[in-house]
Amino acid sequence: MTIALDKPVAASASLRERFEKNRRTAISTLSVIVFLLAWQFLPMLGAVDIRLTSTPLRVLKTAMELVPTADFANDLRISGVEFLAGMALAIAVGIPLGLILGTSRTARLFIDPPLMAIYATPRLALLPIIIVWLGIGLASKIAVVFLGAVFYVLINTMAGVTDTDQRLVRAAKSFGATRLDIFIRIILPSALPAVMIGIRLGIGRGVLGVIVGEMFSSEAGLGNKIMTYGEAVRIDHLLVYTLFVSLCGYLMTTGARLIEERLRSWRPQA
Amino acid sequence: MKGLLSLVPARWRPLVFGTTSFLAIFVFWEIAVMSGWANVFFFSQPSKIAVAAAAQIANGELPWNLWVSVMEFLAGFGLAAIVGISAAIIAGWFRDVEYVLDPFVWFTYSAPLAAFYPLFVAWLGLGLPTVIAMTFLFAVTPIYANTLAGLRNADPDLLRAARSFGATQSDLFLKVALPASVPLLVAGLRLGVGRALTGVIVAELFGATAGVGYSISYYGQQLQTTNMFVSLLVIVLMGVILTQLLAALEAQTEGWRVDPNG
Amino acid sequence: MAQIVIEDLAIEYKKPNSDARFMAVEGISYSIEKGAFVTIVGASGCGKSSLLMALAGLIPLARGSVTIDGKTVIGPGSDRAVVFQDASLLPWRSVLGNVSFGLEMQRYGGGDLKERAMHYIDKVGLTRFADYHPHQLSGGMRQRVNIARALAVDPEVLLMDEPFGALDAQTREVMGDDLLDIWERDKKTALFVTHSIDEAIFLADEVLVMGKDPGHVKDIVKIDLPRPRTNDMYDSEQFNEYRKILRNHLAKDMADMRMQTVAEA
Repeated sequence: MTIALDKPVAASASLRERFEKNRRTAISTLSVIVFLLAWQFLPMLGAVDIRLTSTPLRVLKTAMELVPTADFANDLRISGVEFLAGMALAIAVGIPLGLILGTSRTARLFIDPPLMAIYATPRLALLPIIIVWLGIGLASKIAVVFLGAVFYVLINTMAGVTDTDQRLVRAAKSFGATRLDIFIRIILPSALPAVMIGIRLGIGRGVLGVIVGEMFSSEAGLGNKIMTYGEAVRIDHLLVYTLFVSLCGYLMTTGARLIEERLRSWRPQA
Repeated sequence: MKGLLSLVPARWRPLVFGTTSFLAIFVFWEIAVMSGWANVFFFSQPSKIAVAAAAQIANGELPWNLWVSVMEFLAGFGLAAIVGISAAIIAGWFRDVEYVLDPFVWFTYSAPLAAFYPLFVAWLGLGLPTVIAMTFLFAVTPIYANTLAGLRNADPDLLRAARSFGATQSDLFLKVALPASVPLLVAGLRLGVGRALTGVIVAELFGATAGVGYSISYYGQQLQTTNMFVSLLVIVLMGVILTQLLAALEAQTEGWRVDPNG
Repeated sequence: MAQIVIEDLAIEYKKPNSDARFMAVEGISYSIEKGAFVTIVGASGCGKSSLLMALAGLIPLARGSVTIDGKTVIGPGSDRAVVFQDASLLPWRSVLGNVSFGLEMQRYGGGDLKERAMHYIDKVGLTRFADYHPHQLSGGMRQRVNIARALAVDPEVLLMDEPFGALDAQTREVMGDDLLDIWERDKKTALFVTHSIDEAIFLADEVLVMGKDPGHVKDIVKIDLPRPRTNDMYDSEQFNEYRKILRNHLAKDMADMRMQTVAEA
């Protein structure tokens, strides 16, 4: 008996592909360098007003002074706690609710329309009323993060469940699997990648929620500083916070994406 | 539950049950406040909101705010669509342009863009231009990225077939890749609509002199929850209508996505 | 007495998103002896897969009954195992995990589960690939896993729903040979749904021919070729006779289908 094994796609890229990849990195890097140079030198040439743009070196210098301060650490801690608490809550509520809604067709008929209405609406519009309800402290920011993230987690979990391959369910049933068996062995593992997508999208919205919430009304936090320095037109300080927050968002989203790819390693790349 | 389900013909179920659940929410809300179980100061009441909405329509406040927000939305989103799609077409044709734009696309995808609001205020001042700029910034990336993905993902079999008929590079791009990208382009527009709406509302919340977002913020400072809810419901309606419009457009182009051989 | 007895069987389906129903299969009566290999052929939509799924206990009957060894089928049971078409393997489990799956679902308690799964993986020739995941295997190998999964629970009856339907002609032939090799060893009762007339004849003791609208038994053709079957039989006079009979039976349905595709175009 002979068995032909489908070879996985060649792992070593051809010379041409490697050249293209290097070229890509080179051009992208060059593009960022040109941008930074323009930002640094255009104000010197008088083309733009330096008070409104600052310069990259100036921002770097300010960052070196600002980041080690206790004040910065305190703002980071506050924003971090708000974000993590809201995110944890979104996951704790979104996943179980998504699983229930994904499993029950009847529940979906009732919940889908209001859910879609909220999903289609910018939840940040709720910010002022949340502040009325919960005040300008920690609680309102946690609520904003929660509202920003929970629907992504919920809807993706739900989609993961409803997209479960029915052929797998049928195969399990043929071996006498119980409903619980099917839920644990088939539905949960097939929904997992979708749940991770929901969490990744939720992280992006959660970070936005913390920052907007703090910018709108707060006593401390990174977003609070962004607004304060913005109103004072201290662009270098403003940009340190803005870029730092962006970096955090980038790192967390990338981290989530890596976990996502790991989870789907059993699946060929689409 | 099963018995209840079978009372309604299958085709009407989504509509009937959807309406039922919206009605149920409003009725529950009204009763919860009327019975004193929920505080009217915090939660207002559907009947009061209806009265306030009528008053805001009568004195022209609501139509004016809606008009401002819609104009800002259309300007920002329209700009984002033009710039996003054109940039994607250029990047689709010249790969190097894609590489040049790549780092900035990554950045705007993962950064909380609202953090750049104060920068826009410093450059453009409070009001209309800043709101439009924020709307543009929120919406442009998904439109660009999806259109480009659509151009790049043209079916290799289609390309091979076209080449077998002697198609040139520009034929391939204009007659195969570009039409093939339409479904993803529309998907990008749908994502862009949602983000643009967020952009309008966030920018108006922070600082504006008109618009539905501004009105929520304004009544929030006065602790007038009823009037806040009027604006909130208007935003929900805007979101639903815009999403439905784009979903309809998406359904129109959906047929293109289906592999004609499969 | 026959092992499987089907009496006046009818299966009904609900059309999706409406309340309308239609009959997929009606008035089927048929019995199968223990250890027989029966293949089922018929045009698309004749309900041959539905019949198999009813035997598996995976879809409800509108009328009639199915008994196996005197027990009425009311749901899936450990006396039967199903080999499905492609893509019914759990993509996140290895070959070993997939073959163990059926045993786990049946709460297997008879000794080392892994050892037993490995035994059946060996039987289908995949020992070297026990740690591979389905997406790393070829279509033929995936169907070997599917067969091993079904054999591992040691059923009385093996139900196969077009298991080689997605394979190319060469692989298909090899798989047919190997399936017979495995089957000859302990002669489990086997039902095998297929589109291929040659496959139906080559494997079977008896071919059940089905017609459509609604699905019914058209004919039962006994195949009197000696076992073990060999590939040179494909060219024999006798094989050709069977081929003719089956082609005649399917000719009318094929003509109907031709009309349909022309109408659609």
